[in-house]
Amino acid sequence: MGLFDFLGGETDKRAEEVRSGAVAPLRTERQKCYVARDAYFACLDANNIVDALKDEKAAGKACGAQSKDFERDCATQWVTYFKKWRVQDLKKKQMLKELEAKGAARMDVSTEFKPR
Amino acid sequence: MQRIPGAIAPSRPLFETLFNLPARGCRRFISSQTPSARRPAAPQCRASAQQYQPLVQKRFKYKTVEEAKSRYRSGPFSWKAGLLFVATGAGLLYYFEYEKERMQRKRVADANKGVGRPKVGGPFSLTNQDGKTVTHDDLKGKFSLIYFGFTHCPDICPEELDKMARFFDLVEAEKPNALTPVFVTCDPARDGPKELKEYLSEFHPKFVGLTGTYDQIKAMCKAYRVYFSTPTSVKPGQDYIVDHSIYFYLMDPEGDFVEALGRQHSPEQAAKIILDHMKDWKGKWRID
Repeated sequence: MGLFDFLGGETDKRAEEVRSGAVAPLRTERQKCYVARDAYFACLDANNIVDALKDEKAAGKACGAQSKDFERDCATQWVTYFKKWRVQDLKKKQMLKELEAKGAARMDVSTEFKPR
Repeated sequence: MQRIPGAIAPSRPLFETLFNLPARGCRRFISSQTPSARRPAAPQCRASAQQYQPLVQKRFKYKTVEEAKSRYRSGPFSWKAGLLFVATGAGLLYYFEYEKERMQRKRVADANKGVGRPKVGGPFSLTNQDGKTVTHDDLKGKFSLIYFGFTHCPDICPEELDKMARFFDLVEAEKPNALTPVFVTCDPARDGPKELKEYLSEFHPKFVGLTGTYDQIKAMCKAYRVYFSTPTSVKPGQDYIVDHSIYFYLMDPEGDFVEALGRQHSPEQAAKIILDHMKDWKGKWRID
């Protein structure tokens, strides 16, 4: 945090505004949030936790550190949104897998965050 | 010679007879044992062999028997004929495919063009990121691409705006100054001109950001059949996420809806669709 210490309160204020949703995050801030999110989700994957909102205790225990980063780098609303999104996305992937096993035709629809 | 009944598939003895004609002269016609002897009227023997020679060479232009035989074996097919056949076929196929695609696009454009009043789109008056008023008239004379979103959008809007910037550049490279990219906020309470300016400058300098009062935005969304929902009972300063439709609306220079582009299109596909519609456009363009 060396660089940010020297900018002092200015960055803290901005980060706080992003977290509370007072300002819209810019590209770098979004990027930072996505990195924290991906790390958190990777941890949830490793611990077989699907719904971080429902299994709050298990998620907190297994991925406490990642969760802290996630909440620090993203707007609070985004944290909730992404956690819900994860549940939906996993459901969707599961369903696709089931349908594919039944021999359904596949369509090219991306559910990744990366733009094509 | 042209009266030979078996001329379509002449037999070997016939060939031999025919090509020995100049040397043998008239005698041959009488003494011949070939099917040619069966023809109804034998030519007059008074006619000299020289008189028939040009006719012979016109009908069978082979110099040797071997040449004739080889021609007989291959029939009327040659590599030239084959090439011509393939080239004609390929040309026709290409033309039909092209026409089919063009008609398809025309159908899409026509189907989306309302009779009288357009089904999607319509008059509006909003404020751009520089605080200036922009109306539907300002978009006329060029194609426009309209996208609805909000600056606090977590993932889809920024992703789609990056895509829009990519295919806008692709379209610009091919057909400069023919497309206006527009971003309309669904969250006018938080997205004023200042916020839009800061947000959009990160995507593309040419993006036009539009905002207005809640009622103006609601009317705009209704005109474009855009669904959006701001959560109710939001306290001032409280963060929220707006739910909204995520399509790019391609509008023609008269302000009529042409086609909706979605998440399924890659930037290259989207640019191609737009450029194709531009090529089909027969109306006026605004040059500035």
